[in-house]
Amino acid sequence: MNNDPYKILGVPRTATQDEIKKAYRKLVKSLHPDLHPDDAAKQERFKAVSAAYELLGDPEQRRRFDAGEIDASGQERPERQFYHQYAEQDAGRRYDPGQGFGGAMGDDDLSDIFAQFFGGRAGGPGRNGFRQEFHARGQDLHYHLDVDFLDAARGTRRSVTMPDGHTIEIAIPPGLKDGQTLRLRGKGGPGSGQGGPGDALVTVSVRSHPVFSREGDDIEMDLPITFDEAVLGAKVEVPTVSGTVSATIPKGASSGQRLRLRGKGIRHPDGKAGDQIVRLKIVLPKRIDADMEELAKRWRDKSGLDPRADLRRMT
Amino acid sequence: MSLTERMVLTRVRRLTRRDLRQWVHEGWVRPAMGEAGPVFDEIDVARLRLLCDLRKEMALPSDALPVVLTLIDRLHATRRDLRLLVEVLAEQPEDVRRAIISHLQSRASDDVP
Repeated sequence: MNNDPYKILGVPRTATQDEIKKAYRKLVKSLHPDLHPDDAAKQERFKAVSAAYELLGDPEQRRRFDAGEIDASGQERPERQFYHQYAEQDAGRRYDPGQGFGGAMGDDDLSDIFAQFFGGRAGGPGRNGFRQEFHARGQDLHYHLDVDFLDAARGTRRSVTMPDGHTIEIAIPPGLKDGQTLRLRGKGGPGSGQGGPGDALVTVSVRSHPVFSREGDDIEMDLPITFDEAVLGAKVEVPTVSGTVSATIPKGASSGQRLRLRGKGIRHPDGKAGDQIVRLKIVLPKRIDADMEELAKRWRDKSGLDPRADLRRMT
Repeated sequence: MSLTERMVLTRVRRLTRRDLRQWVHEGWVRPAMGEAGPVFDEIDVARLRLLCDLRKEMALPSDALPVVLTLIDRLHATRRDLRLLVEVLAEQPEDVRRAIISHLQSRASDDVP
């Protein structure tokens, strides 16, 4: 491809900044990759046109280029990620107009289509009287909400200020899963004519927690214990999503052993509750002192335990 | 990827705070609402760049923008549906695929005036 930014934009070297801008705008309209997602040739030309305008659109850069101080490929820009590259992935559902195979269909899809065009712009200037005679349910509005892990596990109420300025109260039920969508009836866009308002669809992302993780209604965590607690057994404090409880470590516990704390997982309002699974993890001190070393040596000499006997037999 | 308003503004230099807020308010960009304000993802940043292109480079008037955006969103939703359809077709047995392809070809040649 030709490297001369003037040729790429199709302007003479004597063009004014205004002419350059005009030429660029004209090209962008016909080449923008988000408007022609399949056309690789247009995409390439768009890149060249953008780079050329980057150079010539800025009088100072243009002067330096004309003076030969920098070449056409002057600075390499990081590759731009275009919108369509995201919009065609699942992430693009965020901006769906509410149609499609798997999407949330409105109660009445026809009115949804019209609502999109006529009812969805309540903020904009009302331009035609046609709206008066037109009845349609309001648009479903999609929102995203980030929720703390513990809030999602226990359930909570959150009042959230929406982008349009009004506040809605959202009840987050205990045990809400990451990516789940809550439908708030009548909290969406206003309807047209006698149509009722749409719904607010709030997709919730649950943030991860440094200690707890979720497996359905069960909560899992690693519990560090000391060598003596593993050998002798102990009663220790264990954090759960609903506060600290005391748990018994059995005598002779091994790393990886799992304790099940019944009913300490996600608790649903109907009384159903998951468990908390505690994985024991024996932690030794960073520095082994003489006592411990002595103890280990004595124990080794007479124990005769071979924890890897099974491994050898089975491999 | 979670970006605050300020991080988005450093990433997209040609975007002003006023425009950003206005576009979120209009619902043209829909960030997640976190406790400390809006939280933007990569897709939101890419969409903001597209909005800058439409609004600033192509000088599209702001009342035309929702029309264009709706069409773009519809286009992408349709393309995802289409891709899903193609994927499902690809999972079909050989003879089913052949039958569909030959149907498509005969329909396509019928449509030529």
